[in-house]
Amino acid sequence: MLAEPHSEQVGVEPLLELDTVSRVYGTGDATVYALRDVSLRIMPGDFVSIVGPSGSGKSTMLGLLGCLDIPTSGTIIVGGKTVTGLDDAERTEVRGRTIGFVFQQFHLIPHLDAVGNVETALLYRGLSRAERRLRAMNALESVGLGLRQDHRPVQLSGGEQQRVALARALVTEPKILLADEPTGALDSQNAEKVMELLTNLQSPERAVVIVTHAADVADAAYRKVSMRDGRIVSDVTRVR
Amino acid sequence: MKTARDLLRVAVTGLYARKVRTLLLLLGPMIGVAAIIAAVGLTDSAKGDLKAKVNQLGTNLIEVAASSSFGSKDPTLPEDVIPRAENVLTLKSVAQIRELSNIVVTPYNEATDKYEAVPIPVLASDTRLPSVLEVKLISGRWLNGFDDSTVTRSAVIGIGLARQFSYLPGEVRTIELDGIRYGVVGVLSEVELEPSFDNAVFISFPSAKADFVTTAKESDKVLPNKLYVRSVVGAEKITAEALRVAINLGGQDELTTDIKSEALQLAAQSDQQIKLIVVSMGILASIVGGVGIANVMSISVIQRSAEIGIRRALGHTRSIIASQFLLEALFIGLLGGICGVVLGILSIFVGATIAGWVFVLAPWLIPAGIALAMVISVIAGLYPSVRAARLEPLETLRLG
Ligand SMILES: Nc1ncnc2c1ncn2[C@@H]1O[C@H](COP(=O)(O)OP(=O)(O)OP(=O)(O)O)[C@@H](O)[C@H]1O
Ligand SMILES: [Mg+2]
Repeated sequence: MLAEPHSEQVGVEPLLELDTVSRVYGTGDATVYALRDVSLRIMPGDFVSIVGPSGSGKSTMLGLLGCLDIPTSGTIIVGGKTVTGLDDAERTEVRGRTIGFVFQQFHLIPHLDAVGNVETALLYRGLSRAERRLRAMNALESVGLGLRQDHRPVQLSGGEQQRVALARALVTEPKILLADEPTGALDSQNAEKVMELLTNLQSPERAVVIVTHAADVADAAYRKVSMRDGRIVSDVTRVR
Repeated sequence: MKTARDLLRVAVTGLYARKVRTLLLLLGPMIGVAAIIAAVGLTDSAKGDLKAKVNQLGTNLIEVAASSSFGSKDPTLPEDVIPRAENVLTLKSVAQIRELSNIVVTPYNEATDKYEAVPIPVLASDTRLPSVLEVKLISGRWLNGFDDSTVTRSAVIGIGLARQFSYLPGEVRTIELDGIRYGVVGVLSEVELEPSFDNAVFISFPSAKADFVTTAKESDKVLPNKLYVRSVVGAEKITAEALRVAINLGGQDELTTDIKSEALQLAAQSDQQIKLIVVSMGILASIVGGVGIANVMSISVIQRSAEIGIRRALGHTRSIIASQFLLEALFIGLLGGICGVVLGILSIFVGATIAGWVFVLAPWLIPAGIALAMVISVIAGLYPSVRAARLEPLETLRLG
C-alpha cells in the first residue's frame, strides 16, 4: 500500500479549516485538554478517516468541524466563512446548509416513520410538503429503503436505521458529511453496507469524514488522520 | 409563513404520535374550564326563568305616582306633567293615567249588588299606555284620539276582567260604569309589571271628565295621578331622580318613583357566593392542570433531548425548538379548552334538565374558557420550552 503525506491542491478552497484550535473542558484541577492546537484542512473530494485511541479527541474534533461546539481558542472556517464568533443562530444556519451528520446511535426520531425522519432535515427551509416528501423519498431510495418509507425506527433493523439516518444526512445535499463511528453499533454485514453507501457519497465536490475504531473502515478512506492526546500525530493520503 | 406552517405540522404530529400523553395533558385545563363553565352556567340557569322574564319585560319601566305629604285624599300630578317629564333627556316614552275612585262596574245593570262588594278599578288613560307598558291587546283596539275628541264611551278591559265577565274575543259587549253604558272596544293582555291592570277598566280622560267629574267632586278637571315612563336602559335611577325634579320644578316632593322591575331583577340575580366559590375552584383546577403540563413537558424535554439534539444538528434553531414546544402547549390548551367548554355545557344541560331550570349560558364564556386554557397552558409550557431550546446538541447527542 502506497502512502504519502497529504498534499494540498492549488487553487481549491478548503471546505473546512481548523486553525490552531484548542478545546478545553473544565477548570482548575479538572482541566482536560480534549484538543491542543490542532490545524486541519478538509478539501472537496476528501474521504477522511480519523483514528486514535479512546479519549484522543476524535469526537471533540468532529463536533467542532460540524459547528456543534465552540473552540476554546483558534479559528474554524467553514466554506470560506469564519464560524468562530458567529452567534448560535448563525452557526445553526451554516450547519444546516453545509453539513450532514451520521451518529453511532442513529438518533432517529422514534415517533416518525422513515420518510418523516428524513423530511425532518428539510423542515423550515421554505419547501412545500410535496417537494419535501419527494426529496425524502429519493434519498430513501438511494439507500435502498424506498419500500420502508412508512416504517418507524422500532420496525427497522440497526443497519436499516443507520441507512435512514444516512438518507437524512444526504437529503440536504451537504458539502460535508461527518460520521462518528457510523458502523460502531452494527454487525459486520450491515457495517459493510453502510460503508459502501458512505464511500459512494464521496464526490469531487463533497468531503466525507469518518471517525472510527475499525481498521477496515479506516483503510477504506483515502486520507487517514491519526490522533493522540488531543493532537494530530499523522495525516497521510493514499494514492488513488 | 412556511416556517409557521412547518412548526404547526411538527407540533400536531408530535401530539398525535403521543396520544395518551396528550390526552392526559388535556385533562387539567379541560376539567378546570369545564368546572368554571358549569359553575357559572348552573348558577345562572337556576334563575334562568326569572332572567328571561326580566329580559322580556325590560328593566327600564318607572312608575311615578302622586303622593301628598299633607295627607290629602286624592293626590294628583300637575296638568302639564307630561311636557315636564319630557324634559328629562333619558326618558324614552311616557303615559299618564288617573285612578278613578268609587265607580261600580258591572257587566249589566241588574248585577249591581253582586259587584259593589268587589271594587273594580276604573282608570282614565291616555292613548300611549300600552306602548309604554309594551303590552299588546288580545283583541280589539286601545283607546284612540277619536275616542278622546268625540268623547265616545269606549272602554278597554283587562284580561282578568274579560275572563270574569266571560267576554269572548270580538264579541260586541257593553259594560256599566255607575250605570253608564260603555262599549268594550278591546281587551288588554296580561300586564306582568302591573298585575292590577288585569282587572281594570280603561276609559279616556275626556269620558272620565264628562261622566265622572261630578263623582270625583274635588275638581272639575280630571288630573293624572300616575305616570308610566320608559327610560334609556341603564339610566333608570338617574331618570327617576330627574323626573322628581322635573315634575316638582323645585317644589315640595309630592310624588314617588318606583323602578318596576327592580324587585324582579334582584330575585333573578344568581347566587354570587356559590358562583365565586365554584369558579375559584375551577381556576384552581386549571392552574393545577397547568402545573401538570409544566411537569409532564419538563420530563418530556428530558426524554426527547436526543430528538432535540438531532433537530439542532439538522439546522433547527433554538427559537424553532422553543416555538415547537410552546405550540404543543398551545394546542393542548386549545384542545383542553374546547373539550372543557363542551363538557361544561353538557353538565349545565344535564343539571338544568334534571332540576327543571332554563338553560342559560353567557356566550362570552365559551371563548373566555378556551382562552383561559390556552393562556395557562402556554405559561406552563414556557419553562420547558426554554429548557428545550437551551439544550446543547453535543451534550444530548453524546458522540461516540
Ligand atoms: N463534556 C465533556 N466534559 C469534560 N470532558 C470531556 C467532555 N467531552 C469530552 N471530554 C474529554 O475530552 C477528551 C476527548 O474526548 P472525545 O470524546 O473527543 O474522545 P474520542 O477520541 O472521541 O474517544 P472515543 O474513541 O472513546 O469516542 C476525553 O478525555 C474526554 O474525557
Ligand atoms: Mg468519540
